[in-house]
Amino acid sequence: MSDLKLEVKEMIIQRLKLEGMTPADIDDQAPLFGEGLGLDSIDALELVLGIEQTFGVKIEDEAAGMQAFKSAEALATYIGQHRTA
Amino acid sequence: MTDGIQEHLPHRHPFLLVDRILEREPGVRVVAEKLVSYGDPILQGHFQGRPLVPGVLMIEMLAQAGGFLETDSLTGKAIFLAGVQDARFKAPAFPGDRLRLEVLSEGSFAGMMKLAGTVSCEGRVLCSAKLMVKKVGP
Repeated sequence: MSDLKLEVKEMIIQRLKLEGMTPADIDDQAPLFGEGLGLDSIDALELVLGIEQTFGVKIEDEAAGMQAFKSAEALATYIGQHRTA
Repeated sequence: MTDGIQEHLPHRHPFLLVDRILEREPGVRVVAEKLVSYGDPILQGHFQGRPLVPGVLMIEMLAQAGGFLETDSLTGKAIFLAGVQDARFKAPAFPGDRLRLEVLSEGSFAGMMKLAGTVSCEGRVLCSAKLMVKKVGP
């Protein structure tokens, strides 16, 4: 698992208080919302704030969110592409 | 300001829980006041002979104060409470208390906003909580 992907999964678990889950429990390809991890719109805002605080990357609108939240892997890719540091 | 509160919020007696706006920077920060009185209908039953403001109403006060983070009036629309996190009720509020409601926006996404709120009285924090609110309507 790439370091960034691992960091992203750790941030998801910590930010959303997914107690008892480990990064290995989050499938790289599974959708974060709906069927996969089953997150909702409140979780989406929480993730947007977590991504901003942890990685300094802003998800500006719903279109960017649609792309970034496709899966854990897509989110890591999105952060990797938009991170300035 | 006391003018404009009823133009901005759709809430009415007995559930309008903001009396005055002291500071307002839309999208960033609002400081408002609520004056607690023996005349408040809810205190007749909470509790008999020992009136004190229910903690859940302090959450509602913060949510209503948070409505003033929105630039446009909310009449004809609504802001719904979608979540409450890390709520702490440290001390009760009594008739005669002048409550300071301070609300900061922590960010928003797709119509959902997260607020950090504090209710205090004479410099003492009575309640603190994070709220998630969702604006619905045209």
